[in-house]
Amino acid sequence: MTAYIVRRLLGLVPVLIGVTLLIFFLTRIIPGDPAIAMLGERAAPNLVERLRADLGLDRPLFFNTAEYRETGRFGDLFDSQYFDYMGGMLRGDLGRSILTLVPITQSLLHRFPATFELTLAAMLLAVVIGIPAGMWAALRRGTLADTGVMLVAIAGVSFPVFWLGIILIYVFAVVLGWLPPSGRLSVSTSIQPITGMYVLDGLLAGNFKGALNAARHLVLPAIALGTIPLAIVVRMTRSAMLEVLGQDYVRTARAKGLSELTVVRKHSLRNALLPVITVIGLSFGSLLSGAILTETVFSWPGIGRWVYDGIAARDYPIIQGGVIFVATLFVFVNLLVDLSYTLIDPRIQYA
Amino acid sequence: MKKLVLLLALLLTLGLTSAQTLVFGSSGFPASLDAVDSQDGNSLVVSGQVTERLVDFAPGKTDLIPGLATSWSANDDATVWTFELRQGVNFHDGTPFNAEAAKFNLDRWNDPNHPYSGRAEGKTFVPWGWVFGGPVGDGNLIESVAATGDYEIQLTLTQPAPFLPALFAAVYFQFNSPTAVMAAGVNYGTPNVGSVGTGPFKFVEWIEGERIVLERNDDYWGGPAGVERLVFRGIEQPTARLAELQAGTIDIAVNLTSDDLATVQNDPNLKAAIADTELNVGYVSMHQANAPFDNVLVRRAVAYAIDRDAIVSAFYEGLGVVAQDHLPPVLFGHGEDWPYEYNPEKAKELLAEAGFPNGFTTQYWYMPVSRPYFPAPQPIAETIASYLADVGITAELMTEDWATYLADYQTGKFPMYMIGWNADYADPDNFLRTFFGPSSLTDQGWDSPETRALIQEASQIADQDRRAELYAQVVNTVADQAISIPMAHNRSLNATRVGIEGWIASPLGFSSVSLHSVTKAQ
Repeated sequence: MTAYIVRRLLGLVPVLIGVTLLIFFLTRIIPGDPAIAMLGERAAPNLVERLRADLGLDRPLFFNTAEYRETGRFGDLFDSQYFDYMGGMLRGDLGRSILTLVPITQSLLHRFPATFELTLAAMLLAVVIGIPAGMWAALRRGTLADTGVMLVAIAGVSFPVFWLGIILIYVFAVVLGWLPPSGRLSVSTSIQPITGMYVLDGLLAGNFKGALNAARHLVLPAIALGTIPLAIVVRMTRSAMLEVLGQDYVRTARAKGLSELTVVRKHSLRNALLPVITVIGLSFGSLLSGAILTETVFSWPGIGRWVYDGIAARDYPIIQGGVIFVATLFVFVNLLVDLSYTLIDPRIQYA
Repeated sequence: MKKLVLLLALLLTLGLTSAQTLVFGSSGFPASLDAVDSQDGNSLVVSGQVTERLVDFAPGKTDLIPGLATSWSANDDATVWTFELRQGVNFHDGTPFNAEAAKFNLDRWNDPNHPYSGRAEGKTFVPWGWVFGGPVGDGNLIESVAATGDYEIQLTLTQPAPFLPALFAAVYFQFNSPTAVMAAGVNYGTPNVGSVGTGPFKFVEWIEGERIVLERNDDYWGGPAGVERLVFRGIEQPTARLAELQAGTIDIAVNLTSDDLATVQNDPNLKAAIADTELNVGYVSMHQANAPFDNVLVRRAVAYAIDRDAIVSAFYEGLGVVAQDHLPPVLFGHGEDWPYEYNPEKAKELLAEAGFPNGFTTQYWYMPVSRPYFPAPQPIAETIASYLADVGITAELMTEDWATYLADYQTGKFPMYMIGWNADYADPDNFLRTFFGPSSLTDQGWDSPETRALIQEASQIADQDRRAELYAQVVNTVADQAISIPMAHNRSLNATRVGIEGWIASPLGFSSVSLHSVTKAQ
């Protein structure tokens, strides 16, 4: 098991090298660069030139052949943007944003907990409602209840997140005034960050008013973000349950005279969960990599919007740092999903 | 019991703070609070409450008033300028504001080798290049800065600049405490450090992506501000910004969509805050490197084909006016009114005369983002394309990501495109030089040395009447040659909660407005 985990983690190294190469290459072949983006509507040629030089964008990207030819020193071949960046990465330094000069690691550390908290809330919603609803629909297959649940689920995946977010804000914040419209905290509320997840931090510090305030801010974005995973979990649970309920061992269990509850809980659900967990893991991973639309509508300071804005501004260090972080995250989430299989299905073992 | 008392005390203080806290909602968080190293309104509106400029604007106007400089004067040919500085002013960290401090700031922006310029670590001072050409040795307007007294500085220029004070009124050029700049280095202006100035508010904290908090500077030279605390929030979506304002979680919302004017006016809790005029222009250019736009008859035909009145009344919600030239109405230097009244028949005649009786096919590029000068680029582009179709010109609508668009429009890749400009400073030079100065060749494929010479000459004369004549010549040539079609000057829709007084929208945009005199009813 440990060997398996180590092997999987070692696999991260080639993944990261591949990702950095690709991202360096891709960000540089799209037209427009940070200098152009910063100078905006008017970029006089001399200003563009100077800014490119100031930002080091005129330096060789991968190999400094010019300097190598001049000095003949092999090491000078690597005096380039890419190898400087990789060198920094090995020291845990992902550079600074070109636009804001804020260190990338600082922004990641600040923004990831926000994304994580929102993702957790959204997935909690999806799982707590989705699995029972899917089971219920499966057990009442073909009835009005089944059709009703599936209709809602289809509607759930079909709502544009953006539109749903705006509607939620308008109804619950503006018209009813029950919940705050956007942001993570009211301006009169402060929370001392410990984990960076405000609800948890509030509880840990005994700041219950703060925790409540943070939780209230979490509700609407979690609904907006959780709707699609919820719909997917419902459908997945239903179809997996239906498949399992048709299996021989379920018939045997029923024939043995086990109660319906035991049949469903012990014999069906556990077996049906496997594909559901895969789906949950995948959704979790993709939500963690940033929920750009939800973050935009709800002014949620997560990493999705941050990377998106980084792309628009051609802020290379943000794009690089963000993508590397997300890639690493995906590898971990997939590993956790694979490991969770062994807990649910004893037939699966990793050596 | 003890807990109850504490709770009551807490509620009481919270009640007091919230009554004196003004929450400002703009479309995003600052890039930096180091003003000359940032270039967007969301940065400058925050830093502008902390740090101040030498020259300011009268509220709601473009008239210059003293800021950190109390008076200014030039030699006869406007190449040497002397600024008298305000005395008895301290930065928030106690550093005195004087000639040394002013020189430190100017040198930091203007001298590429200044030990605290931070250019090597990534500071860029982009607006310094925009307005003052660049640092020494690279198109610089300012040659040197000398402290000629405790409270007097003298600027020597590379060429005459009669409107130099207007340049210093541009919202970017805010003065920072030398002590703070030297201590923080590259981190100056970031969330960790903020900025230290002489302004009515002091920096307290900046939680990345969440809020920025400033508190009143009780020692402000202009008297204490009307509210105790300022909180800035970045709410990207205009719809969400309006919702926050309606819900009462923010007090001021800037740059709302013009469609929401009616909503704001019908809500008893809200007040619209709109400037009398705003210094911007949106226009449609034809790049002459692309045939047949090298033919003046074709360009005139296009000008006749587009009904600008209809577009402005359809998309600007009564906030915009049809442009008569590329200069906002409030500036001097106007020429004759735009000579091409909507006339599709005339357009067809001109096309036939130019050898295109059946029209031609081209590309029309529209902006992927909305700007005050073009609030709805895509629908406006569709409308323009339909006008062009009426006279036989088939315009394929195209767009691309904004940073790419900005890089491409200067290459001649776009036969027809839309773009515009928000003023840095209130002078025709900022408009006409930008559009028809040295970059006209790349922007419109139009090489007119006479026009460039007129713009250059006008920028060096003090006599405003003479300048106006020269600018009028430029404007008339542009119109006669139909180089580029001015569409509209727009005004942004801002709104406040009822009970907020003293926020006066500025012709130069929301970032130029001081929150010093804003009050909030308890």
